[in-house]
Amino acid sequence: MWPEIRKHLYQFDSAVLTGLDAGGYPFSVRCRPYPDKSGDGVLMLALPAGTPVRPGPASLLCHKHDENLWNLKSFLVRGSLGHDVGGWSFEPIRFVPGVGIGGLPAIMRFFTSSRRNAARYLEKRGLARPRIPWDEINAVKDEVFSAPDR
Amino acid sequence: MNRSSRSVAKFPPEIEDVFREFRTCETTTLARDGTPITWPTLPFWRPDEGHFMITTSIGLAQKVFNVRREPRVSLLFSNPTASGLENPPAVLVQGDAEAPDEIVTSIEGFEDELRKVYRRQPASRVYSSNLLLRYLMDWYCMRLVIHVTPRRILWWPGGEFWQEPLELEMDCVA
Repeated sequence: MWPEIRKHLYQFDSAVLTGLDAGGYPFSVRCRPYPDKSGDGVLMLALPAGTPVRPGPASLLCHKHDENLWNLKSFLVRGSLGHDVGGWSFEPIRFVPGVGIGGLPAIMRFFTSSRRNAARYLEKRGLARPRIPWDEINAVKDEVFSAPDR
Repeated sequence: MNRSSRSVAKFPPEIEDVFREFRTCETTTLARDGTPITWPTLPFWRPDEGHFMITTSIGLAQKVFNVRREPRVSLLFSNPTASGLENPPAVLVQGDAEAPDEIVTSIEGFEDELRKVYRRQPASRVYSSNLLLRYLMDWYCMRLVIHVTPRRILWWPGGEFWQEPLELEMDCVA
């Protein structure tokens, strides 16, 4: 897990840290994680004073896209947020690749598992596979892409 | 909240600009073990209804399962890429979500959002471009809807998280 985090984390300017506030709601801020000097697999976080997250379960998300909302890349690290006199730290527990990581094999896995999940969702509810109104979708698509001022 | 945020009574236009123009937001739901799980999503702000709409496929339904079990969620708008906004604020919406167990395939009532997706993500048109892709991608068009009603809105002018955030008085939200 740690090599994957190292490989991908530093391709991003910042990460979104999310923890829980006192009311149990998620609270997210952008930060720049950096490795603990001891090298023991902990990330240090410089968070603004008074950031209302509590030590405990947390996650770090990195993501990006281009001007056309394409060339997506993302990953999530599940972990645990800690706080002591040394400041805030994040102990990774699991690396979860998102889109744009893992190449073609990951894309194939994504599509096959999503298709399988969808079939399971329908099966659990005793539902037939619904028909997709492709003609209606394509009519909207044609309208958008034929517009001169798109 | 420990941190003292400054309260603002009027819904600032720059916040609406962010809701309208940002391509993605970082949506957090809570896993069964309480871990906040955050992924980028396409948010649609519906001011007349006073909530955000997010959709996901039944093949990627984990955030819906999370919401049905635990409705507390957040949306962070912190990536301004492609928004066209100069020096926009970062905005955090904390809210309550609901996700009915109804699969939506019709585009009726979602035409504006579909147009917006095609305009903003032109490459997505390939998914419906031929019979093979329609067969392989039909699951993606079986959508579940999540509505997020804001309970608290905070923002950091200029996206500077080191500043003290401002907070909107919630009776300003439509």
